Amino acid sequence: MEWLIEKWQIVVMLSPFLLDGLKSTFEVSIVAIICGSLLGGILGILKTLDSKVLRTSIDCYLHVFRGTPYLVQLYLIYFVLPSLGIAWLQFDSYMAAIVSLSLYTSSYVVAIVSSAIFSVPKGQEEAARSCGMSKAQALFHVVLPQALKLTIPPMASVYVIVIKSTAVLSVIGLSELTRQGETSILRMPGDTMFIYCLVAALYFVYCYPVLRFARWAELRIGTNNH
Amino acid sequence: MTWLYDFFNFRIVGNYANVFLDGIIATVSITSVCLVLSLFFGVFLALMRNSSNGLVWRSAAVYIQFIRSTPLLIQIYLIYYGLPSLIGNFFDETQTAIIALTIHTTPYMAEIIRTGIMSVSHSQTEGAMAVGMSKFQTMRYVILPQAIAKVISPLLGQTVVLLKDTSLLSIIAVFELMGAGLQMFSETVIATESYVTTAACYLMIYLVMLVISGVVERKLGGANAAIN
Repeated sequence: MEWLIEKWQIVVMLSPFLLDGLKSTFEVSIVAIICGSLLGGILGILKTLDSKVLRTSIDCYLHVFRGTPYLVQLYLIYFVLPSLGIAWLQFDSYMAAIVSLSLYTSSYVVAIVSSAIFSVPKGQEEAARSCGMSKAQALFHVVLPQALKLTIPPMASVYVIVIKSTAVLSVIGLSELTRQGETSILRMPGDTMFIYCLVAALYFVYCYPVLRFARWAELRIGTNNH
Repeated sequence: MTWLYDFFNFRIVGNYANVFLDGIIATVSITSVCLVLSLFFGVFLALMRNSSNGLVWRSAAVYIQFIRSTPLLIQIYLIYYGLPSLIGNFFDETQTAIIALTIHTTPYMAEIIRTGIMSVSHSQTEGAMAVGMSKFQTMRYVILPQAIAKVISPLLGQTVVLLKDTSLLSIIAVFELMGAGLQMFSETVIATESYVTTAACYLMIYLVMLVISGVVERKLGGANAAIN
């Protein structure tokens, strides 16, 4: 009983601090998800166009961002870009976090969007074109609405990956959830495990609904198609 | 050539070639050990998740969901600080790191293997049972080989993720490729060369894995490749 009261006091004392961190994690991840999805969506559409140069360069981009760990990308953007001496590349930790996370997100989104567009039957586009629609009209009014529905479940799983990647941002000193947890541990070194469990629980509260949504969307969209 | 040296000094990188080589070897060996362990446990976890016993599949599901919705970094910290207080300093840092990564990767492997097992048609099980195979034999000789062949490309994709995840181990002071880059940075204080070289090494391993996965998919592919 005493143990419970003691732990409860820690929870009460740390909760404003950790919730602050959760808020920061939430902000960074939402901004990165929005920017990354937009960038990834545009690149994904470009990848489906009939241009070999475009496709190859987007593929290179994809491989570079998927072949290196997020931690390395973060170090490159936070430490290496400022040393190039270009003024607008001098990011502070918040900007570096958002830029690197957005690029990382976009590398996943490109693959999802382009494969969704490819999975729409070719006849749809041909029919739209033969009704007299322009290429752009066929893309935006016929192909994309069908493709976007297919992207929902994989996008939700990517968003979970992105949210979890924000934990890495603690290494560049952004005061997000993991960082706040580490700071609390400096204040109370005796309760290391308990504080990390609290942090894990907060991440769980944020990620689990998104994961459930991904699963739900997958089942729903799966049944709609058959 | 001097402008090139201003931007990227090859000579310094040359001095650290050995460190990076050690880093690559460490990263690849940690990845392979974790891959073997997580595939082994992943099969069991997948079977547990498919079990009809409520207690068994529920506990497997809780484990899978917990791992999937918390960051790897937190899991590494939990194991790194928690394991010694449970069993004492029995494992050194690298072994702790391997345990943490295996615990993290097993659920992902299990979910992939489970999809594979469920995609093998039920008549295969019935056929195997009909020729007198035990449940274990059916799994071992009939279901699993087909299941693994079907999901080989997501498994390879997860292996790439595992490879990238090893970079987080540098935070708990395990020496691997990222650690090599950090060591070079702390000794020379030149960010560009250290981190660009690290990234290039990761890309190199990634490209080798791409080629390997292409070969494996072609070998196992054929009719199965169409299913994916």
